[in-house]
Amino acid sequence: MSELDPQELSRLDEQSKKDIMKFINSENSKSKVQMQIHTFTDMCFKKCISGPVTTGQLIGNEEQCINNCLNRYLDVNIKVVQQLQNVQK
Amino acid sequence: MALGSLFGGSSASAPSAPLSTSTSSASSQQLKEKLQNQITQELAVVNATELVNKLTENCFAKCIQQPAASLTSVDDLCVNQCSEKYMRAWNVISKAYITRIQQASSSGELI
Repeated sequence: MSELDPQELSRLDEQSKKDIMKFINSENSKSKVQMQIHTFTDMCFKKCISGPVTTGQLIGNEEQCINNCLNRYLDVNIKVVQQLQNVQK
Repeated sequence: MALGSLFGGSSASAPSAPLSTSTSSASSQQLKEKLQNQITQELAVVNATELVNKLTENCFAKCIQQPAASLTSVDDLCVNQCSEKYMRAWNVISKAYITRIQQASSSGELI
């Protein structure tokens, strides 16, 4: 990967600067979602995959458990925010 | 840059189409694309690194009960299966989370 010369950056025209800012913002939010997916996978894998691993497939209710784990976590998250909002009032 | 190719290959070509640039000069255009590619690459490395870390942590906990002098064939099989399972779990979470985000944004929960 070639290094960028800082001097080169000053040659960017205005439109390109705007485009790059837009690009960074969108990549940033994509990256945040990806990081959250990592956190949730870690959490729900620990919760739902019990006992020794005997297959690479998701078996029994593991897939359902993972789905429920994610959805209930988000429900709790929303609930906590709502409660805090109520306290503020 | 081995990790970059693990994820960068698909994400670099997917949604990061060059943005409209009717007014940009050729050198600006070129530099912009170079920058955007570099950003995409680096984020892909961060994403892959995170997966490797979490996967190692979880499968080490699951598979290596008594650390032996080397990985036994049992350990080896377990790590393979555990990795596959973990990535399947990742896909399930990814799909479910994106569904929730879309639901929330279409119902106006998110701005």
